[in-house]
Amino acid sequence: MAIDAAQPARARRGVHVPKVRGRYGYAYLFMLPAVLLLLGLTVWPLVRTFVLSVQNVNLVRPGSEFVGLDNFRSQLTDRTLFWPAVWHSLVWTAGSVGGEYLLGLGSAALLNLPLRGRGLFRMLVLIPWTVPIVIAAMTWRWILQPEYGIGNVLLVRLGILAEPVYWLGDLSTALGTTIFVNVWRSFPFYTIALLAAMQAVPKELLEAASIDGANAWQRFWKITLPHLKGVSFALIVLHVVWTFNNVEFIWLLTEGGPLHASETLATLVYRMGFRTFQISQAASLSVMMIALLLIVGAGYRLLSRRRVQGE
Amino acid sequence: MPPSTRWRRSWPTLLAYASVVVLLAYALFPVFWMVSTAVKPTNEIRTADPTFIPTQLSGEHFALVLWKSNFLVYVRNSLLVATTVTAATLVVSTLAGYSFSRFQRLPGITAAGVGMIVGQLVPGVLLVVPLYITMKNLGLLDSLWSLILTYTTFSVPLSTLMLKGFFDQVPVEVEEAAELDGCPSWQVVWRIALPLAVPGLMTTALYAFVQSWNEFLFGYTFISQDDLRTLTPGLADFIGIWTVDWGALMAAASLAVLPVTVAYLYLQRYLISGIATGATKG
Repeated sequence: MAIDAAQPARARRGVHVPKVRGRYGYAYLFMLPAVLLLLGLTVWPLVRTFVLSVQNVNLVRPGSEFVGLDNFRSQLTDRTLFWPAVWHSLVWTAGSVGGEYLLGLGSAALLNLPLRGRGLFRMLVLIPWTVPIVIAAMTWRWILQPEYGIGNVLLVRLGILAEPVYWLGDLSTALGTTIFVNVWRSFPFYTIALLAAMQAVPKELLEAASIDGANAWQRFWKITLPHLKGVSFALIVLHVVWTFNNVEFIWLLTEGGPLHASETLATLVYRMGFRTFQISQAASLSVMMIALLLIVGAGYRLLSRRRVQGE
Repeated sequence: MPPSTRWRRSWPTLLAYASVVVLLAYALFPVFWMVSTAVKPTNEIRTADPTFIPTQLSGEHFALVLWKSNFLVYVRNSLLVATTVTAATLVVSTLAGYSFSRFQRLPGITAAGVGMIVGQLVPGVLLVVPLYITMKNLGLLDSLWSLILTYTTFSVPLSTLMLKGFFDQVPVEVEEAAELDGCPSWQVVWRIALPLAVPGLMTTALYAFVQSWNEFLFGYTFISQDDLRTLTPGLADFIGIWTVDWGALMAAASLAVLPVTVAYLYLQRYLISGIATGATKG
């Protein structure tokens, strides 16, 4: 070994080398449990998904055959489930992330003002994010309930609605309502992250701009906002990936219904896996989602590299 | 100062406070409404004219949840799973994080690190179907072990990366000095590096615990036997069982959310630094 060759004298005297070599062994031994878990419960299932996607496994009937790209073909020609789900995924992801970002930015700017009690406000605004998704979904289902739900009661009493709306059960409102609930639960994450970035904006810059006659609005647009680029970029990419792949929110609010009106690709994978037991169909959808994720990942790397070079 | 000037100076401030009130009302109203529904009697709930502040407090919904449902069984299962996952995550990621911090340049170690980062990004929905099949083949469906294994795997990558960061801050010289003083090398981790990384261990433990406490999808899928259900899927089942008993549903939700929220708020400075570095999964 290289170490033995480099330090023959010390090795012969037997001072340090055996110990060092022993610790190299530890390096791999220590890594082993983590690597085994990842191989067994992340890598292997993904490999499995690729294999299943070219077979015709269905839990209702035994056996499996190689069917080539048939599953992909039948997905891509499916105008009743697949293409609407693609569209809903886009709306769900763009609507959620867009709403979360705007609300997060607005609330961060607000809580960055020198207000009394802002420490408490910051703590309180974080609360929705600490609520588990199941509980957020339960609570909002109750608020939006058509007969006694407080949301409808208030909107009707204020004269905004003529009569109660079945927000989660109506074809035209189901998807928008799930987006609304997701925004409520997720925006505090943006608030806290953007607030941290705002506080890192050099005070001297803002003061200098102020002396030069820039008003608060100009300072925000010209100085604060450009400083938030890096954080915003990371926040948006991460949330695009998380939101696109999220099943819980929609499943717990509408199960993708009514009549698939809020069905996304992610809920469709889940439905095919555990409701209609079309395992191979679910796998082929998963493979397409992996491809999309890889494209987003590659785009992210490309853009962040360009950003680093540009700065 | 003439009143008009004072007014002009203070109206942006007033506007700011008003906006804060609106923001907090939006953020907190659902939580308030959940608790309010839970503590009032049913006749104040199922009415077209609900009361905001209950005129009468009632423990009936809490009694139903605690004594006449499997709520406490779900809590026990969740506690069992979350504590085991936390312990397993700490052991596995401490070892991996240490190795990752100290032996980065060894062949294969860096590859494992990159694998961790990629593994962290694989979304659950892509794993739930194949993992279900794996668990079925292993005979682990309807066993808490399926969840323990899965959740540990999900929390190990980020925990390893966090702990690597903490071990990076422990100088190698301290360990070398201990070794020269005759401390056996395998004990160096245990006796020297680990005690110095305690804050990191706390953060990791919190992350692993909350992650598995809140997880829904796998718990919902892998476990179908009611007395093995964990808390989040158990709550989702209540929606089906108590369809119109919103008082009971909100009582269960309140009981389930309060400990997590209190823990979060208590540990918020760790949490916020985690969010600020963009590390915490939402």
